Formats: sequence, structure tokens, C-alpha cells
Amino acid sequence: MKAGGVKRIALGLSGFVAMAATWELYKAIDGKLGPWHFPAHADDASMPHLLTIGRRFLQPEVRDRPGTVLQAVISGSWYTFRVAVVGLALGAMIGLLLAVVMERFRLLERAWLPYIVLSQTVPLIALAPLISGWGGGLRIGSLHWRPWMSVAAMAAYLSFFPVAVGALRGLQSPQAHHEDLMRSYAASWGQTLWKLRLPAAVPYLIPALQLAAASSIVGAIVSEISIGAKGGVGRLILDYFQRASGDPAQVYTAFIGAALLGLVTVGLIKALEKLLMRNRAAPGLHP
Amino acid sequence: MSRRLRQLIAPGAWGVLVLLTWEGFVRWRKIKLFLLPPPSRIWRELRENRSGILHVTSNTGTNALIGLVLGVIAGVVMALVAQRFVALRDAITPLSAALNTMPIVAIGPIFYNLFGTTSAIPRRAVVAIVVFFPIFLNVVNGLTQTEATHEELLRSYAASDASVLWKLRMPNALPFLMTGLKLAASLAVIAAIVVEYFGGLQNGLGSRVTSAMKSSATARGWAYIAGACALGIGFYSVVTAVERVAMPWRRRRSD
Amino acid sequence: MTDVVAMSGLSKVFNPGRANQVDALLEIDLKVSAGTFVSLIGPSGCGKSTLLRVIADLTPPTGGTLSVNGKPAAQARADQDYGMAFQAAGLFDWRKVVRNVELPLELRRMGKAERRTRALAMLELVKLPDFAEHYPWELSGGMQQRVAIARALAADPPLLLMDEPFGALDEMTREHMQAELTRICAATQKTVVFVTHSIPEAVYLSDRVVVMSPRPGRIVKVVDVDLGARTDDMREQPQFFKKVTEVREALRGIGAGAPRGVDDR
Repeated sequence: MKAGGVKRIALGLSGFVAMAATWELYKAIDGKLGPWHFPAHADDASMPHLLTIGRRFLQPEVRDRPGTVLQAVISGSWYTFRVAVVGLALGAMIGLLLAVVMERFRLLERAWLPYIVLSQTVPLIALAPLISGWGGGLRIGSLHWRPWMSVAAMAAYLSFFPVAVGALRGLQSPQAHHEDLMRSYAASWGQTLWKLRLPAAVPYLIPALQLAAASSIVGAIVSEISIGAKGGVGRLILDYFQRASGDPAQVYTAFIGAALLGLVTVGLIKALEKLLMRNRAAPGLHP
Repeated sequence: MSRRLRQLIAPGAWGVLVLLTWEGFVRWRKIKLFLLPPPSRIWRELRENRSGILHVTSNTGTNALIGLVLGVIAGVVMALVAQRFVALRDAITPLSAALNTMPIVAIGPIFYNLFGTTSAIPRRAVVAIVVFFPIFLNVVNGLTQTEATHEELLRSYAASDASVLWKLRMPNALPFLMTGLKLAASLAVIAAIVVEYFGGLQNGLGSRVTSAMKSSATARGWAYIAGACALGIGFYSVVTAVERVAMPWRRRRSD
Repeated sequence: MTDVVAMSGLSKVFNPGRANQVDALLEIDLKVSAGTFVSLIGPSGCGKSTLLRVIADLTPPTGGTLSVNGKPAAQARADQDYGMAFQAAGLFDWRKVVRNVELPLELRRMGKAERRTRALAMLELVKLPDFAEHYPWELSGGMQQRVAIARALAADPPLLLMDEPFGALDEMTREHMQAELTRICAATQKTVVFVTHSIPEAVYLSDRVVVMSPRPGRIVKVVDVDLGARTDDMREQPQFFKKVTEVREALRGIGAGAPRGVDDR
């Protein structure tokens, strides 16, 4: 059992190694097999050596100024992470609220659910530049609308869906005899929600939150790119892209940062799941 | 049929209510046009610019479709290879699962670097890559998560590996493929729009929305967004229709 | 009479030489002659399902000799000399009922028209001709299990191997299915090896009931049942109860208190 686990991890890592090897191999053989080239340019300006990319992390972001690329990428990722967390919290709250209301009123479930599903098929990310257009023009009460709020709003939009659908399923998951039991106690709707439905929904909420977390990171980075909001790793990708002709390795550093940010977030949620679910059996095979 | 109609009443009524509230709110509070145009204004913009919007939408739609088809083919082929070789599967599945949680569209700039900004290849390639992962992961699951009884049954018939693949694994993977396809169809449209934000050819929805916003033609921007929505819904509906045709044994639930 | 299944000194050890070694089957001698119905009964873990899977060549024995239909088990499997039914009907939900029954014939590369005719005849035999064009989910559990039996019979193998096929059915459906199975066996002259938990089921169906004990799995007694034609009335006859009692006492004799996992219905 243990040996199998080690083998799986080794094989899993070998996938990453193979990807790196393919990269270097592609560079090495391009142009050497004949007069023709691969469709994608493999020269150092487009595909720098991995070592060059790695080294670029440790060099100053801007020549002769303090602060390495590594520091810039880390601080950008940290900024994006915080914005995404705000979006995730908002999205999860909205999703949960929608689910509770839909569970309570069948009519609203019928009216809303199609739109909730529709919302996922609609590329509302196209709204991002529009929301950013509000820029300084919008204020709600004493609150000035700032670009990072647009980013958080898009992150929330992308993350509410899995939570709404997962929570609705979870809230509807208690079996009839559980509901009958609560009714036999003459429990109120609120009591039933608090003591039966919400606890029953937890096993459904956790995977939903995992999806939502990954979506919120993707949403935050993509809308940073779309809006051009400053401070995050998405903006770094844009900035470095514009300097790519002179400094090709830098684009890749920002992308690697964005990729790791996604991985770390999913890892965090997985750890949280272990913590929350340690005393519970896994939900049924057919939720 | 009448049941289907009745199912449409509640969502239909809700949609009308939202549009009316939107319209009423904008007129009542005299919201500035560049902040939020009323639906009637967007509708007018749509009618006046019909051919332009259609053209731009079809450009982005073509990119999304070509990327989607390529990504699906690559994903399915790769899954078929991976189910055959366990070691290969163990090597690429974790990598794919990791990449699947990442903002893959962010490789847009890298692809413009690799293929050049004046080509349609980079955006289609990005769409294909975005699509590849959910398809690959779902199909691998479908090909490998077969019921124990079914496997024993075929073994009791001394069925060859090829027979097991054709008669058990592939039909078993079909619902998984459809789940992946539904995700992928939406992702394809989103990716096709977002890669346009990085630059490249200026003939798609993403670049038009951006330029409309820059020139404060908000209503026109919303009209393009309506086009994007129609594209997304169109892709999704086609996949749903394909699903119904491809899996006749599943029809009971929707009927 | 020829023996369709013959084994001597058959053993099966899981994880040999390791800490979690299990002697699933120990020195089993058993002959099943053509046209007889033999049930394997015993508490959970007595190896009765393992024995069936060894006969089916789904798992190899670790010792002893075994022949199925006069040849090595692997050859018998390759020749489709047996049909098998499991506790789960195991129908492919993407195939209509008739195409499910056709499956073993397709694998033998039988022609389209021929296998359709054959499958429809099998559905006639299990009294489901009207459901040929339905999907499995439209059928009840008992009907699905009848389709599974039709599928097991489709290639007309001399031997049927059944692993608690009625285990998941309710009592009434179960008795009905038992009556149907006796009728089908009488009509087709098949040899059957049948694994069950239920004592009355074993007695009702079988010519011989093989009682097995767990850890290590071995045969403790073979009860010959000779009750003549099976009818519903027979379930209430004294000689039926006598055989049920005989099997039950053999199971008690295994020791270690009541035989857990044996269904006394």
C-alpha cells in the first residue's frame, strides 16, 4: 500500500519532468532535422531554456533597481490571492443564500435554477472591461469603486455557481425519514435548517468549495488581465508580455507564479477538507 | 409538451421581471448611459448593428469551435492511450489535474510569442489546450471506472482487450465525455474571448468589447456581450442536443 | 454420466506466505455430473463464491486439479462452455434488453440475424419477449435478473454458474424466480452450480446441496435432495422441511455457534 503510494507520487512527478524534457528536446531538435521548422518558434526569444527562466527569478525585476522577479511574482500572487479570497467569500455567501432560498421555495428554484445553469454557459468575463469602465465613476454610498473590487466581483461570479448547486443538492439530501423525524418534534423551518439540512450539506459543500476556490483564482487572474487592474500576478503577465521581446524569460516566471498560486489554493482547500471531514463517513456513491 | 411549456413559465416570468426592473430602475434613477444602459437601448444597438455583431460573433465562434474540436479529439485520443498504459496514466493524470485548476488562458501571451500575433493559430491553440484537460480527465475516468460485475462478465466470455474497450469501456465513458463536453463548450467560448484581450487580431468579440468600452460606447459594448452570451448558450445547447442523441438510454430523466 | 465439473484436492490460498494469508479453499473434491443442479451453501467467508470463480477461471487455483466440460478451466472459458449470472444483473444500461442478450453471441462473432433470432428465443424462454426493445432501467429487479439468465443461456453452454443471482430480490420475487429457474433448467437440461445463502432456496432448487465451512473453506457435507417435481406446494411438504433441517444441522455442525451469514428463510 505504502510502496504503491510512493510509486504513484514518483510517476506523478515524472509527468512534470517529462514535460520539462519535452520542452528542451523540442528546442534542441527544431531546425536540425531539415530545412523546415516547427510551427511554434523554438528560438531563445520565444522558448527560453528552463534554466534561463529559473535564473530570471533571482535577477532584478527592472535593471539596476532593488527587488528580484521572484519577489515581484510572490507579492503579485499574494495580492491576487487576497482579492480572490474576498471574491470566494462573497461568491460562497451568495451561493449558499441562493441555495437556502431555493430549498425553501420550490417556485423560486424553478425560476432561478435555469438562470444559474445559464450563467455558467455565458461568457460574462466579457463584462470585465465594462465593469472596469466604471472605474472612478461609481460610488455606492461613501464607498469608491476600485479596480480590485471589479476583480473580486468577477471572482465571486465565477465561484458562486458550484456553491449554489452543491449546497442546494446538500440541503435537499436528507432522507424522508430524517425530515419526518424533525416534523415529529414540531421543529421550525429554521431549526430543521440548522440541525438537519446544513450539517447534511457539509459533505456536498466541501467539493463545491474546492471547485469554487480554483474558479475564483482563475477568475481573479483572468479579470486582472481583462481589466488591467494593478497589483496582481495577472497584471504581471500583461506587463511582462509587453516587455517580452527584450526579456522573454520573464513572461514565463509570471505564468509559473500564476500556476503555483492555483495549485497552492487547491492544496489549502484539500487540507481544510481533511480537517473538517475527519469524523465523517464519505457521502454516498450516488449523491 | 405542455409540461415543458409549464416548466418554462417560472423562469420566463422571472426573466421578464428582471428586465422590467432593470429598465425601470435605470429610467427612474436616471442612471448615466455609460454606467448601465437600459435593455431597450441595448436592444436598439443590437438591431442597428446586427450584421457587424453577427460577423464578430462568428469570428470568435469559429476560433472557439476549431479549438474545441481539436481539444476534444486530443483529449479523447490521449485518454484512450492513457487507459491502455497504467504507468502513463499515473504519470499524466496528476499533471493534468494540476494544470486543470490553473488559469490556462494566461498562456495567451506565450502563444502569441510562439506563433506570432497576426495569426489565428495562437488563440485556437489556447482554446484547444483549455478544452483538453476537462475532456481528458473525464474520459480517463469513464474508461477506467467500469463496474466490477461488467468486467467479470466479459472475462467470463474470454473477451479480448479490444472487445472490452469497444463494448464496455467506450460506452461507459460516453456519459463522462458528455459531462466534460458541457464544461468544455463553455470554457471554449470564454477562452476564445479572453485570449483576445492579450491583443492579436482585432476581429473578435473580446477585442470589440474592449474597444467599445474605451470609447465609452457602453450600449454597444453590451450588445457585443449579448452576442457573447448567445454564443455561449448556442454552444451549450448544441452539446445538450448531441447528448440526447448519443445516449438514448438516458432520455427518461429529461422527458 | 459424464462429469461437467470435476475437481480433486483443489485449494486456493490468498496472499501465500504473507501475514495476511487466507486459506480460502482446502482440498476440495467435487464432481458435478451432466444435467444436475448443485448448490454451494455456507456462512460468509466459506469460499463458496471463490470456488465458483475458480470453476469460471476468473481466479486461478493454487493447488489440485480441475476440469470443466472435460477440459482445463481456461480452455472452457475461452470456448464459452459456461454462462454466468451474478448477484447484480450486470446489464449494460446503454444496450436494449435484446442487445444485452446478444452480447455473448457478438463476442463469438455470430451473424447479426442469427444472434437476434437466438436472443429473442431466449427472451421467450424467460417470458420477457415484450421487453426486447426496452432499456434495462425500465425493468424491475426480477425482470433484469431474468434477462441476465437469458444472456447466460444465449450461447447455449452446457454449464450455468450462478453467484447468488436472487440475493438482492425480495422474498416473493425470489420464490417466483426459483420456480422459473427450475422450469428453465428442466427445459434446457443444463448443469448448474449455484451459490446461495438461503437454505430453502438451496433445497428447493438442487439435486445436491454442498455444505461448506469457513477458514479454511472445505466441504463438510453433501445432502442429496430427491423430492421429485418442484411445485409451490412442495415448499410446505414435510419431506421438504426434513431436507431443510438436514442442511441446517449440517451448517450448525460447523461449530462456533450459529452460522452467521446464513439466511434461514
